[in-house]
Amino acid sequence: MNSYSILVADSSETSRKKLCELLTIKGYKLFQATDGAGAIRISRSIFPDLVIMDVNLWGIQAYEAGRVIEEDRLSTVLFITNHASKGFYEKLQVMNVYAYIMKPIQQEQLHQTVEFTIRNARKIRSLEKKVAILEHSLESRKKIDRAKGILMEKFKIPEDEAYNILRKQSMDHCISMDKMAEKIITINK
Amino acid sequence: MDPKIALMERAKEMEVEFIHLQFTDILGVMKNVAITIEQLEKALNNEIMFDGSSIDGFVRIEESDMYLRPDLSTFVVLPWTNYPREARLICDIYKADETPFEGCPRNTLKKVLKEAADMGYIMNVGPECEFFLFHTDEKGQPSLETHDNAGYFDLAPIDLGGNARKDMTMTLKEMGFEIEASHHEVAPGQHEIDFKYADALTTADNIMTFKMVVRLIAQRHGLHATFMPKPKFGVSGSGMHINMSLETLDGKNAFYDEGDEMKLSQVAYHFLGGVMEHAKGFTAITNPTVNSYKRLVPGYEAPILIAWSASNRSPLIRIPAKKENSTRIELRSPDPSANPYLALAAILKAGLDGIKNKIDPPTPVTSNVYHMEEQEMKEKGIEYLPGNIYEAVQFLSQDEVIKEALGEHTYEKFVDAVLYEWTEYSRYVSQWELDRYLRKF
Repeated sequence: MNSYSILVADSSETSRKKLCELLTIKGYKLFQATDGAGAIRISRSIFPDLVIMDVNLWGIQAYEAGRVIEEDRLSTVLFITNHASKGFYEKLQVMNVYAYIMKPIQQEQLHQTVEFTIRNARKIRSLEKKVAILEHSLESRKKIDRAKGILMEKFKIPEDEAYNILRKQSMDHCISMDKMAEKIITINK
Repeated sequence: MDPKIALMERAKEMEVEFIHLQFTDILGVMKNVAITIEQLEKALNNEIMFDGSSIDGFVRIEESDMYLRPDLSTFVVLPWTNYPREARLICDIYKADETPFEGCPRNTLKKVLKEAADMGYIMNVGPECEFFLFHTDEKGQPSLETHDNAGYFDLAPIDLGGNARKDMTMTLKEMGFEIEASHHEVAPGQHEIDFKYADALTTADNIMTFKMVVRLIAQRHGLHATFMPKPKFGVSGSGMHINMSLETLDGKNAFYDEGDEMKLSQVAYHFLGGVMEHAKGFTAITNPTVNSYKRLVPGYEAPILIAWSASNRSPLIRIPAKKENSTRIELRSPDPSANPYLALAAILKAGLDGIKNKIDPPTPVTSNVYHMEEQEMKEKGIEYLPGNIYEAVQFLSQDEVIKEALGEHTYEKFVDAVLYEWTEYSRYVSQWELDRYLRKF
């Protein structure tokens, strides 16, 4: 059993307490916010695994606060609503995980959706990281190849020698090879 | 390439969907008309119209059609928008007959800048803008709380304000600002971000942009940013010190003279003399709210006396100890509730009047003016700044030079708005009165 940290943001005290009660059973670490700005502040301080947010939050609108929390990668947001209108689904589409909780809250549904959202968000996050790393290395490969080409043409040397020069230079300057390649490319523009 | 086409291509390239056409009303509040990318061409051809009568301090119904003329050099993509991306353009307001609208503060400043240029000068300004970051209460309303909601729900001693300020600095940099300093100020929750000086018009635009960015980024951090001059009794207020100098048309600092004891040129002395001469007259513009005058009280590093000094930080004007190209004078009274366009127009006009009429400044003070005796002040002819906005408006109404800088329309609308506020304030029964008199009488 993982002890996730969860922020419950709901302006209604009854509903907030009820949610906390139901979540405590599962052993989650719980935090509470009563307004949109408060939810953002707490998210920025503790980076919870999940923010459960009532759509009728006081202050900054829930969708606005939810977007900030996800855009700035503070956490993942799970909305609670008692009335899923058409606009609601559209707003949901831009969120990390397409899931929500319907009021009145049922214990089973709540537990399942919370677990589902956190696990999926983690998977998405780790995939995003992998993609970013791959994109970066692809980008560096391209740069290194270009820089190599420049060196080969300039000094009329074979490919492996150009590569060695590039490697030696980046080691001497204590910078990564793609940074060195970048320099060579900009100088020879 | 035609700059309009270049701009449209850039907007398309950056996948901009919405463009905010921004302008500032007489009271210094930023307004904007949002258009879609499809309407950008129309906007660049100065064809976007709005109803001027619906905005404070603008015009009567019968002359309400106003046109927005975007300044192409102010195009910036707003970095906090992801999808859809948004951009902005700052606009001048023109009337239907294609003449500049005299109630547009940006036009007002341009008019005075033109006057300076005709005399052979360009005004450079570097502002120091202070603001407070407050928390919201449990209902999401802005509060005066600088620490967490009374520690009720929030936790972890994390410097939320500091993080927000860092984010603001980064955002401003992305928008092309050169940030010179960013630090916590004297009071709890008070911050300052300084950006590099530029010509007066650019700086006025930058101040408006700066305020927008600070408010917006604060909101993204769950904080409320305020430029109210004195939000809390008993702690320092927020000022907007104005560092300024004149540059000759061939790029030399007109305030610098190596031969002078203080390295100030004759032009600088006369400018200084003019600013001091009209200080009472332009205070209504540089400090335009009821609250502004609660900052201008003794004890909080805010000026109260019309005096100048080389190093002492207590008088109205200080000559910072940097020389040659950075020779400048620092006016310490303006606060961030001022309309930057009108404030700079008024200050510049005062300085130009000093140059034209060769007004010599009084002798500088060397001691801390807060500790000066009444008698000494009288002998030296040192006067107080206006004590409240009502007094300030009276002084403004007697100062023909500053009135000329504002133009008749702006002057009248400004005075109307300020006096309306003053009347309302005067009639209001405050908590202070209740605490004082309810039991006593």
